[in-house]
Amino acid sequence: MNMALLPSMVAIPLGIAFFTYLLARKSSILADILGNLATFSILVISILLIKTRGVYVIGGWNPPIGINWVLDGLSNLVLVVVALISFAATIFSTRYMEQYTARYKYYSLFLLMVGGMNGVILTGDLFNLFVFLEVASVASYALVAFGCNHEELEASFKYLVLSSIGSTLVLFGVAFVYGATGYLNMASIGGIMATGNQNTILTVAAVLFIVGFCIKAALVPFHPWLPDAHPSAPAPISAMLSGVLIKALGVYALFRILFNVIGLNQLYGTLLIVLGLLSMTVGVFLAVGQWDFKRLLAYHSISQMGYVILGVGLGGYILATGGSSSVAALAILGGIFHLANHAVFKSLLFLSSGSIEYSTGTRQLKEMGGLISIMPVTRTTCSIASLSIAGVPPFNGFWSKLLIVIAAIQAGFHAVAGITILVSFITLISFLKVLRYAFLGELPEKLKNIKESPALMGVAQAILALFCIGMGLLLLPGPREFLLEPAVNALIQGVEYARIVLSGS
Amino acid sequence: MSENLLLVPVFLPIAVGVLVFFIPKMVKGVREALSLLTAAIAFVVVFLIFRMEESHLFISIIEIGDFNLHLDLLSAPLASFILLFATGFGLLISLFSASYMAGKERYKEYYGYFLFALGGTAGVFLANHFLLFLIFWEMVTASLYFLITTGEPRAREGATKSFAMIGASDACLLMGVGILWFLNRTFVISDINLPAEGWLPVLAFLLLMVGSITKAGAVPMHTWIPTASEGAPASVMAYLPAALDKLLGIYLLVMISTKIFVLGYSLGLVLMIIGAVTIIAAVMFAMVQHELPKLLSYHAVSQVGYMVLGIGTLTPIGIVGGLFHMLNNSIYKSCLFLCGGSVEKKSGSNELGDLGGLSRSMPITFITALIAALAISGIPPLNGFASKWLVYQGVLETGKGGSFIFLIAAMFGSALTLASFIKVIYSVFLGQKSKYTEKVTGDSGFAMVFPVVVLAILCLFFGIFYRFPVEQFIAPGVGVSLTPMGIWESPLATILLIAGIALGLIIYWIGRAMRSVRTADTFVGGEKIEAETIRVEGTYFYDTIKELPLMEKFYLSEEKGHFDLYILFGKLRAWITGALQFLHNGILSTYLSWSLLGIIVLLCLSIFLL
Amino acid sequence: MIYTLCFVLFLIGLYCAITKKNIVKIVIGLTLMEYSANLFLILLGYRKGGVAPIVSENMNITEFLATSVDPLPQALVLTSIVIGLGVTTLAIAICIRLYEKYGTFDITEIRRLKG
Repeated sequence: MNMALLPSMVAIPLGIAFFTYLLARKSSILADILGNLATFSILVISILLIKTRGVYVIGGWNPPIGINWVLDGLSNLVLVVVALISFAATIFSTRYMEQYTARYKYYSLFLLMVGGMNGVILTGDLFNLFVFLEVASVASYALVAFGCNHEELEASFKYLVLSSIGSTLVLFGVAFVYGATGYLNMASIGGIMATGNQNTILTVAAVLFIVGFCIKAALVPFHPWLPDAHPSAPAPISAMLSGVLIKALGVYALFRILFNVIGLNQLYGTLLIVLGLLSMTVGVFLAVGQWDFKRLLAYHSISQMGYVILGVGLGGYILATGGSSSVAALAILGGIFHLANHAVFKSLLFLSSGSIEYSTGTRQLKEMGGLISIMPVTRTTCSIASLSIAGVPPFNGFWSKLLIVIAAIQAGFHAVAGITILVSFITLISFLKVLRYAFLGELPEKLKNIKESPALMGVAQAILALFCIGMGLLLLPGPREFLLEPAVNALIQGVEYARIVLSGS
Repeated sequence: MSENLLLVPVFLPIAVGVLVFFIPKMVKGVREALSLLTAAIAFVVVFLIFRMEESHLFISIIEIGDFNLHLDLLSAPLASFILLFATGFGLLISLFSASYMAGKERYKEYYGYFLFALGGTAGVFLANHFLLFLIFWEMVTASLYFLITTGEPRAREGATKSFAMIGASDACLLMGVGILWFLNRTFVISDINLPAEGWLPVLAFLLLMVGSITKAGAVPMHTWIPTASEGAPASVMAYLPAALDKLLGIYLLVMISTKIFVLGYSLGLVLMIIGAVTIIAAVMFAMVQHELPKLLSYHAVSQVGYMVLGIGTLTPIGIVGGLFHMLNNSIYKSCLFLCGGSVEKKSGSNELGDLGGLSRSMPITFITALIAALAISGIPPLNGFASKWLVYQGVLETGKGGSFIFLIAAMFGSALTLASFIKVIYSVFLGQKSKYTEKVTGDSGFAMVFPVVVLAILCLFFGIFYRFPVEQFIAPGVGVSLTPMGIWESPLATILLIAGIALGLIIYWIGRAMRSVRTADTFVGGEKIEAETIRVEGTYFYDTIKELPLMEKFYLSEEKGHFDLYILFGKLRAWITGALQFLHNGILSTYLSWSLLGIIVLLCLSIFLL
Repeated sequence: MIYTLCFVLFLIGLYCAITKKNIVKIVIGLTLMEYSANLFLILLGYRKGGVAPIVSENMNITEFLATSVDPLPQALVLTSIVIGLGVTTLAIAICIRLYEKYGTFDITEIRRLKG
């Protein structure tokens, strides 16, 4: 029964995107309503789908000929995260986007992006994945340039160039895989890989996928578009880009293909670990030196993506080398959980920065100060999110980082654990800097008359802040069994994915 | 049933702390009452826990493979004894804050963080699972940060620095705990016992040690305390850096050097050197300070030296001395900070140069501050002397040739402490009145006087009857028995001292009655002069120290931050960031070529490695 | 061999994107890369002398399968060309706006965002 709801995850955003563009030209309130309705409905549907597992075959054509959509533990988790963040972002947009014109364009691009992401998450077909990847990417290029000022256009252009190269590499990867196996269905390819034939073409394809998705996920050294693009977009879009887009298009797709389609080996595991460590350290050192609030946050996205890649890569490495599977599960759990946590706290931080920008008109930390007494909601949510990202208990970021560190130590990678902890410490420093310059200290003379941002923006922030506080509870045995554990198992099963998907259809 | 009692001191303050945030602005007085009540309940419950048998509470929370996190609380005798003090401080300082924080802008949140810190502290002392320990430990750190921010706007520097430095040490702690797991395959604190030999155990010990001495504030990780004192509310300084953080840090140090690790002589020597350097260096800085809280905070650092020195001796008497000194220090140091807060609240300044002549208008504060100042300087029969005496014995007992150096350092430090407190007492309470202190008419109210009086009485009590806590609680808690404790009969000596002072007073009075003296106003050339112009500030005398040839360089480089790891690390960090920022030159072609390079490297790796 | 030429085309596109300063040329480089991918896909399914993959009713299916070219890549390439068109259009639109704002097509002068 529930499987019938699956197509609506993509159909609703795409459909409403279309109608918003058509109907809401004149009325920005209608655009607000439609946009929020769409994100709210996909949030509800994604929650309804939590316990559902299965395969949806489009148009009745069974794989490998037709395209199928697969809902397993991992896609389930990411769907919920995407829906949650989109919902918060649209609530926030209702007031924040008053500064811009053409609300209907904004919402239709927004929903296009959401639809594309949901498609990437659900699809079980390689080329279909590429198509949705491009749908979401193109929408995001346009959204980055939405303000049409110097910085926005420049950032959008850089983003477009780098990201298109990524897409082209992914397309090449698809072509290589198709050439080597004759299939485009992920499960079918996985089935061939399970029989254990490895050849150079597939290795090259894997590397092309890794590079392509790393560009989308902005891992060092493929990252330089991110710190330009994410701060330039309007705040709710920054929240979406940093919060979910790089995860859905980059990290999720990378994991899906490496773990379930091509199958892990020691090399890919090592590559992921190295890329993760590199992104963590380079990202965080760059972040701590920034004075533009949103740029600082954007660099932290690179660094935090490093954690996710590191955690999952570590798990993959341990699995591929035949280490303890419980340690591998712990590492992957840490990585996946950090993915969800990062979505929540980073979006919250971007929304808070949007609130501050809305009230003070600036993003420069040096021009702020003393906001603690003026913006009570924003300072609370921003403090909570800062503590979360810095890994202070009992907020959610602490738990996922702890799992990654402990898993690294249990696997005997002391140096990796050490670097992870060091990066976490520098993250703490940079967010102390944010709190110190934005909220503490004396209020500058020209900000004496500002007010707290509107209540609806506060509501969006408060929702995410509650998740920051409460998400640690997901690790408790009960909730873990139906959200996080299935996601971890979806990755651990590796190319077994093929058997499950194909038998289910 | 009785083990459920262990939950109360941990989770009651946390729950009430959350509640406090939701009390609307209009309601007044409820926060103070709630916080006082909670601290009182916690105190009583901890007393009950302290009196009952060792009890153990175990609730399984998370178990994923080899990773587990349980609510594993254990009331060990030593921990609950120290916790009794911690909650006691909570109670007293909560009372003090009710009056001190009134009218400050952000007193509303203050009580929330205050209670979080209390609950976190209780959690640390009761936790028997290292991760749980770490969580509560970090909670105290975060509460400290927010508590400091409730002070003046300039407190943001101190708050940031404190969180950054303690955060760094917490990172070390986490790494240390991880390595301990790797070595023992368990997170249960009471199950871990291993010799500190080989590089991994030694590394683990050093990491944990950094965590503990940063919390307690020993050189070289001490610099957050003086910076935090600038602008932080006095009650916060008395509560965390002076009292609870010392208890936590030194407790952890004792745990790792006695229970968790079996230390060799060389690691003990490391601790002793840290202790000795801390004593001397911090007291040197303290002497030249002009601000009362900052001066006190340097002493707070200096006193940690004695504790670390005592523990570093690794002899039973030294460790017991160190622990006893920790308790004593928190008593007199909170007392001093609270007196300072009282003075600041009344006069509106905490610059030593601005104060003076308060002994008549604030007599109770004067006497309590005097007692605490004498105690910190190690004057018998007060408590500071008793514990320092034990530490000295511990140092002597190590019996190595070099131990004399440490002994001299400790005694020299004690002398300098006295010198520095003479300055404080003179500048604040004696001498002539200044324009700040002229308007001060009476002592502070009950809520601010009562806590300092209690603390001063404790100073006396622990000094005169020092055998009672040491022999009854501390020594059994560490698991040692003290056979010889020197020949210091404190009660007898006290009686003799009192007799001596009384005799002196009588002679003084008789002398004054017999001589006839004429008093007149000060005048020069027949003109009377304004009292203000001939005021001598106590700080003036000590500025000479700064100008001594060798000292001058020392103080200069301290001011420039050459001894401050926080600043040094900041410079290194800025250099790395600068280099990376230089690479991100904003030109698309550069970025594209990085990507190309990345592709080539990955392709080559994968093709050649497979 | 012919696949290698695709790769060469890709490299030419990449070279163009990296070394050219004019943003329009960079966009051309992008499209070159994309076309190389499309070409590659088409060539994968190509069979020398094969027939068009259209099945009519009176055809022998096995014979048809043996002689026809693979239809799937053609379908893929159609889609991918459409996507490429969208991306290129957007890129050119951004280029025009960039020229309005910065007054130049030179990428080395469009560098407000750095560090």
